[in-house]
Amino acid sequence: MCGLLLLFSFPASRGPLSLIRIPKGAGFPSGVLSRLQVDVRQELESCLLALADREDIALLRRNGVRFSVLARNAAKREILVVRTDSQAALAALRLAGQAIAVEPGTAVFWTETGSPSEAVPAGLPRKVLSSRTVRLDLRPAACSGRPAPQAAAQDPLVDMIVDLVATSNLISTVQSLQDFQTRYASTTNCEAAGESLLSAFSALGLDDVHFEPFAFSSYTSRNVVAEKTGQTYPDDIVIICAHYDSTSPAATRQTLAPGADDNASGTAAVLEAARILALYPLDFTVRFIAFSAEEWGLFGSRAYATAAGLAGERILGVINLDMIAFADAMPEDLQIIVNPASGWLADRFLDAASAYGPVDATKTVDASFVYSDHGPFWDNGYPALLAIEDDPLTTPYYHQTSDTLDKCQMDFFTSAVRASLGLLAELAQPIREGYPRTPVGLSATPVIYSVLFSALKVVRVTWSAQADAAGYNVYRTNFSHLGYVKVNGSPVIGTMYSDADVRTDMPYYYVVTAVGATGLESNRSKEAGVVPDVSPTTAVHRTLSFRPPGVGR
Amino acid sequence: MNAGRRVAVFLVVLSLSAPARAQELSVSLAAGSFRASEEAYREIYGPSVPFSADVWLKLKGHLGLAAGFGRIGDEGRAVPIGEDGAEYPVKFLRTSIPVVVFYQLYLKAVDIRIGAGLCAHHYEETWETVDLGFKGNKLSSRFFAAASVALLGRLSLFGSATYDTIPTGAGSLLVTEVNLGGVQILGGISFRIF
Repeated sequence: MCGLLLLFSFPASRGPLSLIRIPKGAGFPSGVLSRLQVDVRQELESCLLALADREDIALLRRNGVRFSVLARNAAKREILVVRTDSQAALAALRLAGQAIAVEPGTAVFWTETGSPSEAVPAGLPRKVLSSRTVRLDLRPAACSGRPAPQAAAQDPLVDMIVDLVATSNLISTVQSLQDFQTRYASTTNCEAAGESLLSAFSALGLDDVHFEPFAFSSYTSRNVVAEKTGQTYPDDIVIICAHYDSTSPAATRQTLAPGADDNASGTAAVLEAARILALYPLDFTVRFIAFSAEEWGLFGSRAYATAAGLAGERILGVINLDMIAFADAMPEDLQIIVNPASGWLADRFLDAASAYGPVDATKTVDASFVYSDHGPFWDNGYPALLAIEDDPLTTPYYHQTSDTLDKCQMDFFTSAVRASLGLLAELAQPIREGYPRTPVGLSATPVIYSVLFSALKVVRVTWSAQADAAGYNVYRTNFSHLGYVKVNGSPVIGTMYSDADVRTDMPYYYVVTAVGATGLESNRSKEAGVVPDVSPTTAVHRTLSFRPPGVGR
Repeated sequence: MNAGRRVAVFLVVLSLSAPARAQELSVSLAAGSFRASEEAYREIYGPSVPFSADVWLKLKGHLGLAAGFGRIGDEGRAVPIGEDGAEYPVKFLRTSIPVVVFYQLYLKAVDIRIGAGLCAHHYEETWETVDLGFKGNKLSSRFFAAASVALLGRLSLFGSATYDTIPTGAGSLLVTEVNLGGVQILGGISFRIF
């Protein structure tokens, strides 16, 4: 079934757990893994890492699933996934503890004693395994992709919003964070930086600002979470986030880790976005989050995303900004990194970068690039992107005491913030005064109508009536969140539209706008979609043909 | 029995009857009710009203030949699979040309004919608001019984019951293979030409 995110969960009582590696590729047994409820803790580009007890292993063997055991007694260990771009990096990792390469450029790592996060050599990005079973995106290729690129359209209101980005504010925030000397998580300076951020967010007039504490290794730290609650869809959330902790070589990180680019730059962007969007009523809720303990292995974002996943929070998309201020050459371009399920978010970022940055941006789909705070959101099935200045990094100041404000390229930094805010505003949808209210309650239901010799698939789109709407426009796309095209002629009167111009083997996604008596059109509703889950017989496919859109209403 | 073999058998019967001298020629016009064998047909279209016009040629002895034209047409609604959202009207039309051999006997004033033969069908099912439809042709078996009672001069009251079985080999989500056959009960008049 297209569009299905399968949750793999493990049995309640289990024996000693082993960490196993299950290769992907041809013949990847996703159906078997789903049926066997394999406890996958990390999805990578070419393999899955899972915890399995003896019974699970026997089941996998009986079902012909290929796997290899990486570590026994894995539940007792804190296991990291570490990026090892070179043999030298892997060799250095092996000197620090137990390291096993699981795919090119990626290793799992643990230590017999102490915290593996502290043992990882400086400069090697790392991520702790998910604390619960990850959600795998098993959608077929028909559900991903994007429509043919079109010229990015500029929304005048969003344009006005991004024009409010002030380089001076970015400089001020980066400088103030740098002034803490170090923000290495576990230090009091890091906690003080968190408090200053809490104060800064609190001064903006947002709807909620609070700390969210979490434990990591033998320490605790706090994420700073601020919220601007949406007026139309308060339970549907868009997140912009960055980590505010920093690091430098082991000898200095307790006292000096200025982290201007990594990642005061991202944090300043989040704070600036909050300052500006606080001024506008929004359709969707926006959360501005500064995570801590990212440098230890994404512990802050793991705690947050896991809790969100367990609570069933509806997170539409996550924009994670990590190192967006250093340019090795101008013009610099941003790297936008996503997993396959988040491809649409990167495409939207690229459009926003062009329209509002302006800044060049490049999309990379790499499920193994899990080394920033977007990673735990992927683990929990949420679309998320990472915006980063380079991949691989070119800054010589990475995780060094020399990562200071004077190394930042402010034009590039400002453009990156404008692009990020542009996308955030487009996703959150500022409410325009005098325009009809955004429609709510949208649902799309596939209905097959059949007679003796043929069948017709119809998507029935319904929504709730808006008092200030004279009619409605219905937009449709085959690519979630991308490339909507209006399918009705004159505005639809009433709250139902039957779309008979559909194929049985394609997904369809819809949004609806309200049209006022003077012709002003509201923001788009939240998207509702149908995926090809009912397939008429071959004979029916052969006989199906359709009139142009507009019939069958 | 497949269509080819049915045709062969029918031609043999016709060839045996051919030398006989025609003794009586009559025509009948009738209308009535059609109950389809297929449940899906009944769900979509309900009971339909068939019309029939036939020519009856009585040969020597008790045998005779008949041929004619029949039509069943109806309007219905597509069946939603899933939540009902809208109505999609559809039309069905079946035209039939039967050629049958019958055996005739008289019970007092009642002229009774029973027989069987072949029937060529053309059928169309069309969606009225969507450019979607299906057409087909099929040769099938027909069985019937008819009776007439003299009314006035050459005019008789006429009634018949007809059973067709028409496996089409085609289908949809509702039916794997549609059989368009069923039972027709018809009433009308018959006029004896000679």
